Amino acid sequence: METLDYDVAIVGTGLAGLRTAIEVLRRDKGKLGLRVAVISKIYLMRSHSVSAEGGTSAVLYPEEGDSFELMAWDTIKGSDFLADQDAVWRFVHIATQEIRLIERWGVPWNRREDGRIEQRWFGGLSFPRATYAQDKTGFFEMRALYDTLLKYDNWDRFDENFVTSIVIENNEFKGFTAIDLKTGNFRYFRAKAGVIATGGAGQLYRITSMAASSTGDGYGLAYNAGLPLKDMEFVQFHPTGLVPRGILITEAARGEGAYLVNKDGERFMQKYAPSKMELAPRDIVSRAIMKEIMEGRGVYDEKSGLYHVWLDMRHLGKDRIEQRLPFIREIGLKYLGIDIVDQPLPIRPTVHYNMGGIHVDIDGKVLNSSGMPVKGLWAAGEAACVSIHGSNRLGSNGTNECLVYGYIVGNDVYNYIEKERPSLPSPSQNLLLAEEDRIFGKLLGKESGGEDVYQIKDELKDTMEKYVHVYRTGSEIEKAVTKIRELKERYKNIRLSDRSRVFNYNLEHALELGFMLDLAEVIAQGALLRTESRGAHARLDYPNRDDANWLKHTIALKGPDGPSFSYIPVKITMWKPVARVY
Amino acid sequence: MGEEKKEKRYKSGLLRSLWPYNFNVERYTYTLHRITGVILILYLMAHVFEIYHVALGPVAWEQTMALLGSLGIWEKIGLWIIAGSALYHGANGFRLILNEVFGMLLGKPVLPEYPYTPTSLSRNQKIAIYLIVLVVEALWIWAGIYLLWGLGII
Amino acid sequence: MKVRIRRFDGQKEWWQDYEVDAKPSDTVLDVLNRIREKQDHTLAFRQSCQMGSCGSCGMVINGLPALACQTRIGELKTESIRLEPLYNYKVIKDLVVDLNDFVNKHRSVKPWMIRKNPEELEEAPTEFKVTPEQNLTFVQFDYCIMCGICLAACPTVAIDPLFLGPQALGQAYRYIADPRDEGFEERIDILDDSHGVWRCHFAGACSYVCPKGVDPAKAIQYLKKDILKYRLLHKKKASTKPAELVQKAPPPNAPKPPPFDFKVEGGV
Repeated sequence: METLDYDVAIVGTGLAGLRTAIEVLRRDKGKLGLRVAVISKIYLMRSHSVSAEGGTSAVLYPEEGDSFELMAWDTIKGSDFLADQDAVWRFVHIATQEIRLIERWGVPWNRREDGRIEQRWFGGLSFPRATYAQDKTGFFEMRALYDTLLKYDNWDRFDENFVTSIVIENNEFKGFTAIDLKTGNFRYFRAKAGVIATGGAGQLYRITSMAASSTGDGYGLAYNAGLPLKDMEFVQFHPTGLVPRGILITEAARGEGAYLVNKDGERFMQKYAPSKMELAPRDIVSRAIMKEIMEGRGVYDEKSGLYHVWLDMRHLGKDRIEQRLPFIREIGLKYLGIDIVDQPLPIRPTVHYNMGGIHVDIDGKVLNSSGMPVKGLWAAGEAACVSIHGSNRLGSNGTNECLVYGYIVGNDVYNYIEKERPSLPSPSQNLLLAEEDRIFGKLLGKESGGEDVYQIKDELKDTMEKYVHVYRTGSEIEKAVTKIRELKERYKNIRLSDRSRVFNYNLEHALELGFMLDLAEVIAQGALLRTESRGAHARLDYPNRDDANWLKHTIALKGPDGPSFSYIPVKITMWKPVARVY
Repeated sequence: MGEEKKEKRYKSGLLRSLWPYNFNVERYTYTLHRITGVILILYLMAHVFEIYHVALGPVAWEQTMALLGSLGIWEKIGLWIIAGSALYHGANGFRLILNEVFGMLLGKPVLPEYPYTPTSLSRNQKIAIYLIVLVVEALWIWAGIYLLWGLGII
Repeated sequence: MKVRIRRFDGQKEWWQDYEVDAKPSDTVLDVLNRIREKQDHTLAFRQSCQMGSCGSCGMVINGLPALACQTRIGELKTESIRLEPLYNYKVIKDLVVDLNDFVNKHRSVKPWMIRKNPEELEEAPTEFKVTPEQNLTFVQFDYCIMCGICLAACPTVAIDPLFLGPQALGQAYRYIADPRDEGFEERIDILDDSHGVWRCHFAGACSYVCPKGVDPAKAIQYLKKDILKYRLLHKKKASTKPAELVQKAPPPNAPKPPPFDFKVEGGV
């Protein structure tokens, strides 16, 4: 075992992770000489944030009619009133500064003729405030942040280090344990402060827009460390995923004016959201598409055996598409041979985002089961649930949450170290040795059992895709829960066929699968308990929102046999819930 | 970075560098440019050595001439290859000077459009290359005819 | 469909054949995943986004470096596929190559925004104004996803391991061409070097294989032009180092200057 000492250890190198690292180093400037470890299970710049496409919301032009109130209202209404309103209020104010800051660090935002930043429409907004750089917004933001991070020298990168556990003792964060994939060595990152920014868990599903690396490791780490997860049953389905892979076709396509059309050539959104049409929030559009498909107005795709509807961009014209949606055109040509300039794209909902996450407070501090902050541990981005997005995230609110919370957490971490001057923690060696034995002794060296990692993963994906999708019913979720429990039992009997140390992806996938099974159980059981329909969680057997009983956050804790659930109230400071009509 | 890397890199080295199979036309011109460059350097060295015999007096010079004469048709073929190398290296070198010093034939920075065809390898560049090939071929054939005519074959 | 994969386990190298079912619409990455999940769990390759925007899955497909996730079987037009790790890199296992040199080279050209007044990058009350036309001058080079494919194609990298390579030089030009950046003079001595731009002989292979249309060859030729112009007009010799790189004794308690060598793997 190798022990590495750092002041701050950041797990996950998407937008939130990089922004946090930059903020710590930027505040420090050599004053305290903080050393930062940036840990990722893939290479830096390979994180899934690069696939974010459409835009980043921020209030840039109050003189043209936008305002912080409006953005906060859009976000809260979009969340189906499950968002914590104090957090939203803080978030909308910081977003503006972040957009301008990363502009100065190099993001090539699309511009107006006078050189100012241009914005466009996005689903659920009442003002076109999605700031964008073509349709590769997340990618360019990542570029700018990565490049800026390279400027600093007080950090080390740990590419391809898979974090296996968070070391917490007496409610105090004491570091991360990890496997260095390149050598297969076991590492202990001893750090005064830790940040989890590992993103979402789209790989639980078969059809997802998320990267192969988005397996929800951060959720699993926290859950297994006895920390609560919040609102996990809310899984966002992006309405427009390319058939059959589920590759993301950005909401900006509809922001630019694309139509959704069913088999009969009808713009069906007029039935579901007569005023906003295609630009309704994602949950509503996803449900509309699934409803069309369920009622037999979807188009059947013979190659994949999937039903879909069309996304029609032909009326936009080639110039507009080339300027604003070049990547979508590329994806269409590349994967289907379809040029969106003269043909519509086949699309259906695809798993896109986890609204829920690690239970954190408004500063991004991770909270424990009794609601008190864990000393020295933060979470940011999709891995955390503040909650800004409530039960449904608005399009273009994901990247800015990463930036804003990267900023807030970075500052908070720095303030904590500056004020409290913590010393390096010293955990009990037994804890670390037990973890090493769990991985290398009990998992890698295991001779018995015959279950196959990939077989279980396949079955898990099929189960989630079939039973815990856009529309859910109690009986189906129960089937899912039973199946997941069975898979968990079988998981105990897995046996790895790759016994080497160097780049043992088999081992990595087995550990990921462990996290995924836990998460699937939390999601399915949470969904089963929530007997209402709110935002992304739509129950066919309980079709209405139930503010009297369910205006509260779900908190899931790991118990001896499966998760245990409790509930905490939503912070409502500005607007009382009203009916959500678009 | 700093010191020479000793570790083995996969499919690296001089031969791989000169092996343009599967790649673009420009990489073929690159290989040819390097090879003709080496030929020209060897020729120049040999040429300097030849000229050096002038300083050793008429006898030495005559001997050198006789040695070259004894090569027969191989001398002419050698000269022909050298002429070809010089023609190609010069013409392609001219194109590279246009590219590298004046930034011509490269196209302006654009918004890349899928399928990505890089402007630096697009029409203008290709026209320049084919023009070079054409001119060099024509001159080379002419040089060949001239050499053969000198030998009295035609 | 037959798939031949060049494998390496730390000691020995070998070719291994697999037989897989594949549709023309499948990508090479789909095929690889099928092999790993159904046939051989020990096969190592990188993947992440699966849509051609993260750059993980660069490998040599039928002799040409490309991204596995955006190469469809149908467009290869061959009966079998031959997969190798990227050329010019050290192989760690199977199709996984060592990218540390690559990221070091990228960092050494200072690929970040440089302003004469660094304070301007700390606070941003307004945005810098850039017209759409000015945006066009650099945005192409900002498309780089750092997959490292261009270095596998470059014939110069094959003979000179110290050559900065198309990716790093292209990224240097991305910032030099950016109207917001003022760091040309800081970067010129890194670029104007026998292992810098002048090592490039414009084979254009980098632009040819680039999966994102970045066209690094164009960027490098523009860099050569800019550097020549600067040297001619400013009458500076290439050998003079700028004041910043000349090591003076630092004043006591000054922060350490940034090291040129960048530690990639902590503890190594």
